[in-house]
Amino acid sequence: MADPMRIRAVARDGVVNVRVLMSHEMETGQRKDASGKLVPAHFIRNVTATHQGKTVLTALWGPAVAKNPYLEFEFKGGQKGEKIIVTWEDNKGDKRSDEGVIN
Amino acid sequence: MSRWNKALCAMALVLAANQAWAQHSGIGRAATPAEIAAWDTDVRGDFKGLPPGSGSVSHGEVVWEAKCASCHGSFGESNQFFPPLIGGVTAEDIRTGRVAGLAKGGEQRSTVMKLSKISTLWDYINRAMPWQAPKTLTADEVYALTAYILHQGNIVPGSFVLSDKNMAEVQARLPNRNGMTRKHGLWETRGKPDVKAVACMRNCGPEPRITSQLPDHAAGSHGDLVEQYRLFGPVRMAALPVASAVPAAAPAVVSDPGRSLADKNGCLACHAPKQRTIGPALAEIASKYRGDSGAESRLVAKVRAGGQGVWGTTPMPPFQNLQEQDLRAMVQWILKAE
Ligand code: HEC
Ligand code: HEC
Repeated sequence: MADPMRIRAVARDGVVNVRVLMSHEMETGQRKDASGKLVPAHFIRNVTATHQGKTVLTALWGPAVAKNPYLEFEFKGGQKGEKIIVTWEDNKGDKRSDEGVIN
Repeated sequence: MSRWNKALCAMALVLAANQAWAQHSGIGRAATPAEIAAWDTDVRGDFKGLPPGSGSVSHGEVVWEAKCASCHGSFGESNQFFPPLIGGVTAEDIRTGRVAGLAKGGEQRSTVMKLSKISTLWDYINRAMPWQAPKTLTADEVYALTAYILHQGNIVPGSFVLSDKNMAEVQARLPNRNGMTRKHGLWETRGKPDVKAVACMRNCGPEPRITSQLPDHAAGSHGDLVEQYRLFGPVRMAALPVASAVPAAAPAVVSDPGRSLADKNGCLACHAPKQRTIGPALAEIASKYRGDSGAESRLVAKVRAGGQGVWGTTPMPPFQNLQEQDLRAMVQWILKAE
């Protein structure tokens, strides 16, 4: 299973800034290994972020996103101490969910 | 040698060893213990020189966000400008003490991949970071930041508190602790020396001319280095010979008080003359606000308060303790940039 995501969420003036670092190979499917064989595609496809049960972000990604993706977004209405949950699912069906606390 | 002479000799030796300066009377004086202590700040691999103190990952996170994240990224990923500090190590590496990704090649090498001694990380942060204000961190902050970086690299848990007492435990978990070897030379020479000098004794021909030269494909492969040169910090030695490569205008710029203030206050760490680095290039700022008479005051306020959004998402840190006239001189200098 992939390493945990790093999540940092900071509330300021009613807006929460969320930064996420994911740990994923993000293989495009175009790259060849040393023996000349194509490395099979392996990339994150869906990303969702929820806050208090409400989805605040969904994203559909493809193989063009770099290895170990960094994501930053903002949403309105979060409070200090509340949780934000980020989930990704890749093209092989691997999934990972991690949570961060807003401060 | 008479007894008296011997005694004199012994005395001279002691004097020479203890107070070498005394031989050159009138020049300098012995360094005081406090002066030696001020220079003797290195931390060795065996932890000699490590001051007592401690810091938690969570404290490190707070200091990191305030003082390091603007350049290295929130998580040390540093993608944009600097090589990343974290990434590229696996649980297996931590077990074996040898980072597999280094041998495999093709990966960007992060600090936690290369590091073989935890003392080096501590020492480096303590002496050199943050870049625009080195040596301003307390020992506890350095412990906390080191712990934070180790946690980002999955080497210690989030609840970890690093201190002078447990540095050795962390050393034992360092992913590349067994990655260094001295069992090889700098070059593969297959047991032969890499130079062979045979002295010519007779009929030797013209004296050879020794030159140094880069092959054509290597010369200039990084473009004009002078343009990319990022001036940073007060430099004690003479100015680097940039003037010769940048004709005419350069000397005038160097003598501008705004220029030396910007240098002294670390602005040039993020603002290069012509190329966008962390912040916009000086020339870009000048051309954006050319002919805008209100720009100077607005920019003075902006630098004081810091901020983001005009040039991108990277924030500029606030500079609240600078004098109004100094800020103004720096902004005026920047607005003249070409
Ligand atoms: C103004 C930008 C800036 C800030 C702020 C900054 N750094 Fe750096 N950092 C750099 C640069 C540039 C280098 C590379 C220096 C070099 O190679 O000479 C570097 C290198 C490093 C390295 C060594 C990386 C390696 O593998 O060689 C570490 C560790 C580091 N910084 C930690 C920190 C910490 C901790 C802080 C906060 C206290 C910090 N930095 C703040 C710009 C910055
Ligand atoms: C840690 C990096 C960093 C340092 C150090 C730094 N800046 Fe900046 N600066 C930036 C960034 C990033 C921006 C772009 C901000 C934005 O997009 O609004 C910027 C923007 C600016 C601007 C243009 C602002 C605008 O709104 O167009 C000026 C002028 C400026 N800086 C001057 C300075 C001066 C003077 C100093 C030294 C006292 C300094 N900077 C130090 C990163 C830095």
